[in-house]
Parts: sequence; C-alpha cells; structure tokens
Amino acid sequence: MELILGNIVNDLSKITGYIYPNEFELHWGILVVVYPYLTGLVAGAFILASLERVFDVSSLQPVYRLSLLTALAFLLVAPLPLLAHLGHPLRSYQMFLTPHTKSAMAMFGFVYAWYLMVVLLLEIWFDYRKSIVVWSNEKRGVTRYFYKFLTLGTTDISDRALRFDDKIGRIITIIGIPSAFLLHGYVGFIFGSVKANPWWSSVLMPIVFLFSAIVSGIALVIMIYMVTTMFRWKRLSMPCLNKLAELLFYAIIVDFSLELLDFVQRLYEAEESITILSQMISSRLFISLIISQIILGTLVPTISLAWARFGRVPDEMRRLMYFIAALLIQVGIFSTRWNVVIGGQLFSKSLRGLTVYKLELFGLEGALTAGLLLILPFLVLFVLTRVLPPWSAVESHVSESPV
Amino acid sequence: MKVKKIPQQLIPLAFLLALAVAALVIMRLVLLPETFGEYGHYRALAVDDVAALDIAYAGHQACAECHDDVYELKQQSNHRGVACEACHGPAAAHIEAPDEYAPEVPRNREHCTLCHGYNPTRPTGFPQIIPELHNPRQPCMTCHQPHHPELPHAPEECAACHRQIVNEKAVSHHASLSCTTCHDLPAEHLVDPVMVRALKPSTREKCGQCHASNADSAPEIPRIELATHGEGYLCWECHYPHQPEANR
Ligand code: HEC
Ligand code: HEC
Ligand code: HEC
Ligand code: HEC
Ligand code: HEC
Ligand code: HEC
Ligand code: HEC
Ligand code: HEC
Repeated sequence: MELILGNIVNDLSKITGYIYPNEFELHWGILVVVYPYLTGLVAGAFILASLERVFDVSSLQPVYRLSLLTALAFLLVAPLPLLAHLGHPLRSYQMFLTPHTKSAMAMFGFVYAWYLMVVLLLEIWFDYRKSIVVWSNEKRGVTRYFYKFLTLGTTDISDRALRFDDKIGRIITIIGIPSAFLLHGYVGFIFGSVKANPWWSSVLMPIVFLFSAIVSGIALVIMIYMVTTMFRWKRLSMPCLNKLAELLFYAIIVDFSLELLDFVQRLYEAEESITILSQMISSRLFISLIISQIILGTLVPTISLAWARFGRVPDEMRRLMYFIAALLIQVGIFSTRWNVVIGGQLFSKSLRGLTVYKLELFGLEGALTAGLLLILPFLVLFVLTRVLPPWSAVESHVSESPV
Repeated sequence: MKVKKIPQQLIPLAFLLALAVAALVIMRLVLLPETFGEYGHYRALAVDDVAALDIAYAGHQACAECHDDVYELKQQSNHRGVACEACHGPAAAHIEAPDEYAPEVPRNREHCTLCHGYNPTRPTGFPQIIPELHNPRQPCMTCHQPHHPELPHAPEECAACHRQIVNEKAVSHHASLSCTTCHDLPAEHLVDPVMVRALKPSTREKCGQCHASNADSAPEIPRIELATHGEGYLCWECHYPHQPEANR
C-alpha cells in the first residue's frame, strides 16, 4: 500500500491542479526552443550588419563581414532542429513544390528561402566579389579553382564594377532589413496567432520576438568578435566595441520595455487565464523567467553595459564587462525562447492545472541533440571564416583610441 | 539614346536565377504527382493506393466459422467488444490457409497491459491494474481466461476501475472522504458496472452536509452560505468534487 501511494504521489506530484490527460506530455520540446533562438540570432546579426551598411556607422566596419558570416552560419543550421523535430527530412522539399498558402508554417519555407538566397548569399557575394576575384588569381592548386568557381565567372574588378557592387549591396541591404524583420517576426507571428493559447496569443508577439532577436544577435557578434580577435592575437577596436555595446544597450532597453508592456497589459486585462499564468510564473517558470530571463539575462547585463559604456572604467575592465553582459544576454534570450515555447504548454487549457516538462538527455529530442545544434553553427562559422576571411580588409587601419 | 552596358556580374546571377526557376518548374513537372489537388491539398491517387493494399484483417465474424467454441465463449464475456485479431494479430492469411499460417498467440503479460496497464487517459470505469503490483511475474492466463476474463472475485476497491479519480482524490482536499460518502452504490456495481449504475449526488444539500455555515461537521472544514454561494448552480459546475479548489 505504501508503495502504491508512493507511486501515486510520484506520478501526481509532477502535476498540480487539473490537467487534461493529453497535456501530461509536451509536444514541442527543446528543439522547438532552439529553433527560434537560432533564427533570432540570424536576424539580429544581419540587422547589425545592415546598420553599418545603410546608416554608414563606420565604427562598426570591423564586424560588418563577421556579422554577415555569422548570420549565414546560423541560418544554415536554423532549420535543422525543425527537421529533427518533425522527422522525414527527405520530404521537406515538397513544401516548395506544393505551396500551401493557407498554412503559415508551410509558407515559412519561402520566407526562409528568400532570405537565404536573395538576401544573405547575394549580399555576401557582392561584398566579397572583389576579394574572391583577387584570391582566385593569387591562390594555387585546388583552392584556386574553388575561388574561380565562387567568382561565377566574373573577373571585372574595375572601379566602375566595384561601385556597382557597392550600390547593389546597399539595395540588397535595404530589401534585407524588412526581410530580416519578416524572418523573425514570422516566428513570433506563428506563436502569436495560436488563438487558443493565452500565453502565446498576443499581437505584440512578433515585435517582442524581433527586438529580442536584435538583442541576441548583437550580443553574439560582440562575443564572436572578442573571441576571434583574441585567438588571432590582434587588438580589439575599442570604438567598435563601444558602439556595439551602445547599440546593445538601446536594443535591450526597447526589448525589455516591450516585454514589460506586454506583461502589464496582460495583468491589467486580467483575462480568465491570468490566475494560472501567474501561478505558472511563480512556480514552474520562476527560475527560467524571473531569475534567468529577467534578472540575469536583462537587468544585470543592462546595468553592467550602462556602467561599462558610460562610466569611468578602464578598457581592460570594460571589455570584460561587455563580454560577461553579452554572455548573460545569450542565457537570457535562450530562457526567453524557453519560456515562450515550453511555458505555453505547461498550463492546462482548462486553466486549472500545470504540468511539467520532462527533458530527456539522449534521443532525437534530447538535450544532447539541442547542445549539438547550438555548437554546430560555430563550426560552420569557423569553416566560413576560413573560406572567406572577414577581417583582412580593415584591420590595418584599426587603432586603439580612447573614447 | 545611349544603351548602358549590362554589368558583368549580373550575367551569372541572372543565369543562376533562371536555373533556379527552371529547376523549380521542372521539379514541379516531374515530381508533382499527377492527381495532386484533385480533391484537396494532397495526391488524389493516394486514396486508390490505400484501397489497393492487401487486406490483412479478416474480421470478427470470419473466425466464428471454424472457432465457434471460442467465439461463443467470448461473446458471453466482458471481452465481447474486443475483436479476435486485436489480440491474435492480422489473420486474413490464416483464413486462406489455416494449416500453413498460424496467428500469433500472445501469452506475455505485456500484451494484456497494452489495454489494462494504468493510464490516466483511459475512460473512467475501464478495468486497470498497475502491472508491477498486480501479481507480478505470473502470466495473466494463470488466473484470467483470455476469452472469458471473469474476475476470480469482485474487486475490493474502486481503484480497480476508477484509478484516475482515486489518484486525484488521494492528493486533494477531499483525501479524507471515502467514495461512498457521496456515492450510494449497489454492490453489483463492482461486478456488472455498466448495467448496475452507481448513484451520483444530485443536490447542493449533499455538499452542504459538511460545508453549509450551520452544518454539523468538523470545524476545519471551510464554510459557505449555502443559500447564496454560487446560487442557481450545482456545486460541481464550479468545483470538481474529486479535487475541489477554492483559490486559497
Ligand atoms: C477455415 C477455418 C478457420 C478459420 C476461418 C479460422 N481458423 Fe484459426 N485455426 C484453424 C485451424 C484448422 C487451426 C489449427 C491449426 C494448427 O493447430 O496448426 C487454427 C488455429 C488457430 C489458432 C491457434 C494457433 C496456435 O499456434 O495454436 C489461433 C490463435 C487461431 N486459429 C485464430 C484464428 C482467428 C483469430 C481467426 C479469425 C480471423 C481464425 N483463426 C479463423 C482454422 C480456422
Ligand atoms: C484478449 C485477447 C484475446 C482475444 C480477444 C482472443 N484471444 Fe484467442 N487467445 C488469447 C490468448 C492469450 C491465448 C493463449 C491462451 C493460453 O495459452 O492459455 C489464446 C488462444 C487462442 C487459441 C488457441 C487454442 C486455445 O483455446 O488455447 C485459439 C484457437 C484462439 N485463441 C482463437 C481466438 C478467436 C477465434 C478469437 C475471437 C473469437 C480469440 N481467440 C480472441 C487471447 C485472445
Ligand atoms: C484490445 C484491448 C484489450 C486487450 C489486449 C485485453 N483486454 Fe481485457 N478488457 C478489454 C475490454 C474492452 C474490457 C471490458 C471493459 C469494460 O467492461 O468496460 C476488458 C475486460 C477485462 C477484464 C475485466 C472483466 C470483468 O469482468 O470486469 C479482465 C480481467 C481482463 N479484461 C483481462 C485481460 C487479460 C488477462 C488480457 C490479456 C490476455 C486482456 N484483458 C487483454 C480490452 C482488452
Ligand atoms: C495470481 C492470479 C492473477 C494473475 C497472475 C493476474 N491477475 Fe488480474 N486479478 C486477479 C484477481 C484475484 C482479481 C480481482 C480482485 C482484485 O481486484 O484484486 C484480478 C483483477 C484484475 C483486473 C480488474 C481490475 C482490478 O484491479 O480488479 C484486471 C484488468 C486484471 N486483473 C488484469 C490482469 C492482467 C492484465 C494480468 C497480467 C498482467 C493479471 N491480471 C494477472 C488475479 C490475477
Ligand atoms: C469493475 C469495474 C468497476 C469498479 C470496481 C467500480 N466501478 Fe464505478 N463504474 C464502472 C463503469 C464501467 C462505469 C460506467 C462508466 C460509463 O459508462 O461512463 C462506472 C461508473 C461509475 C459512476 C458514474 C455513474 C454514472 O451514472 O455516471 C460512479 C459514481 C461510480 N462508478 C462509482 C464507483 C465507486 C464509488 C466504486 C467503488 C466502490 C466503483 N465505482 C467501482 C466500473 C467500475
Ligand atoms: C465530495 C463528494 C464525492 C466524493 C468523495 C467522490 N465523488 Fe465521485 N462524484 C461526485 C459528484 C458530485 C459527481 C458528479 C459530477 C458531475 O456530474 O459533474 C461525481 C461523479 C463521479 C463519477 C462520474 C464520472 C466523473 O468523473 O464525473 C465517477 C466515476 C465517480 N464520481 C467516482 C468516484 C470515486 C471512485 C470516488 C472515490 C475515489 C468518488 N467518486 C468520490 C462527488 C464525489
Ligand atoms: C463529508 C464532508 C464533506 C462533504 C460531503 C463535502 N466536503 Fe468539501 N471538504 C471537506 C473537507 C474535510 C475539506 C478539506 C478541509 C481542509 O482543507 O482542511 C473540504 C474542502 C472543500 C473545498 C475547499 C478546497 C480548497 O481549495 O480549500 C471545496 C471547494 C469543497 N470541499 C467542495 C465540496 C463540494 C463541491 C462538495 C459536494 C460535491 C463537497 N465539498 C462535499 C469535506 C466535505
Ligand atoms: C458559480 C460557481 C460556484 C458554485 C456554483 C459554487 N462555488 Fe464554491 N466557490 C466558488 C469560487 C469562485 C470560490 C473561491 C472564491 C471564494 O472563496 O469565494 C469558492 C469557494 C468555495 C469554498 C471555500 C470557501 C473558503 O472559505 O475557502 C467552499 C467550501 C465552496 N466553495 C463550496 C461550495 C459548495 C458546497 C457549493 C454548492 C452548494 C459551491 N461551492 C458552489 C465558486 C462556486
């Protein structure tokens, strides 16, 4: 009898209140958390690159190419968690052959393809074209043919042609900004339009997603820039870092205000779901929302960014603070995605109870796969930087100047 | 008018674009199933494909022709609604050639627990056991005849068939109440539950016995004004009786 009771209590201690039987298991697991996290990084990194390009923020020059490559590396990996989650990756091409205009998820394939082929690859190609042509003449052996292939047969690097490249690049960037907004806004849109789920259903969702994407993208580029520069034994460009930190600071303020707005609006509306949602926040999501997303992922980095950027801090210390802030922001944004995806499934549609997410370690939907998918973009980025080194062009005239 | 020269770099790109469009068009022509979209957003011939599959199941009646003894026995029992092939597997081949192809005979415990293992999603009243606790390691057939699974004796506890409710109540505010506090039931309900129904409370006064402000019950029980609280509705239209909540 004790054993039976032990079993019962063990089974039921996982859930509180009343849940429908089919809510015990979550359908969207950690892979669906990884997916919006990755696309967010793509959109963020790209928007950062566009700033340099469109608004001529010249201090950002050292990270322009790096952020484009970062966006590409993460974009290439972004669909993998979805394919792993859905199974049948070999059928995915059919989505393009038989477009289903009434399905937001199916149309997303086109948004993705547009962004990859028309925006990112083209912009990178036009930007690197001169270098590729030069390399295809300088290098020897197989690499030479590889670069020859990348030139797509073009050889013209006259001033006129380069001016044209630049102009086209600018146009693509201008098209690219709304596309990047679309790419990640769309992910928010898919969650935001689930009418039956009060945690998701909000028109602010796409916008909140977008700004958190910008935040995470800038933070990521800061980290990658610092680490790659360190490993290449080069000096960091302090003006560039300061500018990045400044942008990050503004972005995080906007992002946090939007999230607060969303939150206050929900509290004030106090729809019938509010009770269970606040229960969920104070129990199931306490660590991932209050601690990890808000305190560690938003407040601490905001303060440390403001302090490091605008306070009187030695450069050495400043760099360290930037790096830690950027790292914390990554943790914070990952928690944001977690709280949206997992949180949206933790409470019962009866609004009467809460279930728990049982994360497994192994298996296709496990933590290991997720970890792998989070590491993979960095490997891709490593290869990309080997093929298309993003730094050579600007490094020579970088000097350390006090700001 | 001066005709501008097309920049060199646009030519390969235009070519690639044309290639991509052509590839998409060709792929659509070649790979798109002919009947796609005839009825809806799917391949119409898929319906015929499914219809053309080999028939694997023979159906309940087919078995009765030769195994009328088993069939009759089963029809008398609570397994009457369970088709022969639900346990013995698809047996159309067995009907064609009874001597060449013998259906599976599932003698392991796991087979029975597919349906009878405890699972909260099963309908209330469905007989369920916890395999680890219910006479472990012995084949079910030592005590239950699969074609006529009469219980050796009537179950002693409601949990035999209402385990989910019992579990929920066990951790609720009503844990101390026994089922029969609220449900009057004839003893036959335990044996023939579908024909002999248990009764459910029908009036607010039932709950009022303990919860009314003037009720003669233990002092720690929370009280309400029976006349006004949730007036016009039955208590269980707002409180699930097996796991009552009150926002406290
Ligand atoms: C045409 C007559 C016929 C029909 C119809 C028929 N069976 Fe049989 N079945 C037999 C015969 C004969 C045997 C004995 C063969 C043997 O002992 O190898 C048998 C044996 C069996 C066995 C025992 C196999 C074993 O390994 O001991 C099972 C189980 C069985 N049948 C199930 C079914 C089911 C289920 C159906 C309905 C889908 C069915 N049979 C329909 C003739 C039939
Ligand atoms: C609940 C699952 C179940 C259903 C339904 C079921 N059987 Fe069985 N059947 C078994 C099991 C288990 C055995 C093995 C019994 C044993 O070894 O004692 C068996 C044995 C048999 C045998 C072997 C001979 C014997 O009596 O031991 C035959 C023949 C048979 N079943 C036919 C049928 C037919 C015909 C039907 C449908 C009218 C049917 N069964 C429905 C589970 C089932
Ligand atoms: C395909 C699902 C299924 C399988 C497999 C199955 N059963 Fe059942 N069983 C049922 C159904 C349906 C009932 C009737 C429940 C009801 O009365 O509401 C039932 C009832 C019972 C009962 C209760 C009978 C009563 O009088 O209350 C017992 C005991 C039982 N089965 C034993 C077994 C054993 C032993 C096996 C394995 C040989 C088995 N069942 C396999 C579906 C199944
Ligand atoms: C040692 C004999 C024995 C074995 C082995 C056995 N049972 Fe039972 N079973 C009983 C008895 C006695 C009852 C009725 C009284 C009770 O509830 O304990 C029962 C009741 C049941 C019930 C009705 C619900 C309930 O809890 O009363 C089901 C369903 C059932 N058994 C299925 C199975 C299944 C499935 C297996 C194999 C995994 C199995 N039994 C093995 C003796 C046995
Ligand atoms: C042998 C299995 C079995 C056992 C043991 C059993 N029940 Fe039931 N009970 C059922 C079934 C089957 C139903 C009908 C479910 C349905 O058809 O909706 C049912 C229905 C009920 C209902 C609802 C009646 C209605 O009209 O909706 C109540 C109340 C109930 N049972 C109480 C009890 C209590 C209390 C016990 C323990 C003392 C108990 N049962 C033991 C199988 C069982
Ligand atoms: C506080 C009183 C109370 C207790 C104690 C209680 N029930 Fe009920 N039960 C009810 C009421 C009231 C209903 C009617 C609910 C409805 O119609 O929505 C009900 C309905 C049911 C039903 C019908 C299906 C359902 O879920 O609505 C079953 C089965 C049942 N009870 C079984 C049990 C069992 C088994 C126990 C003991 C573990 C138990 N009840 C204890 C008050 C109680
Ligand atoms: C036999 C007495 C008894 C009956 C009859 C009874 N209850 Fe209760 N009820 C209790 C007890 C004991 C508690 C728990 C008090 C405590 O938590 O200390 C309780 C608690 C509650 C609570 C408060 C739960 C909370 O969250 O604090 C509600 C609501 C409730 N019962 C509703 C009902 C309803 C509805 C019925 C009629 C279907 C009913 N009760 C019938 C004894 C009873
Ligand atoms: C219209 C919905 C509704 C109905 C009908 C209803 N209740 Fe409630 N009940 C509530 C709500 C909401 C609360 C919690 C808010 C509160 O304490 O007033 C509650 C609270 C309670 C409490 C806890 C009081 C406390 O002091 O903690 C008890 C006991 C209770 N109800 C019993 C009953 C009983 C018995 C009935 C039937 C006579 C009933 N309720 C009918 C909605 C309802």
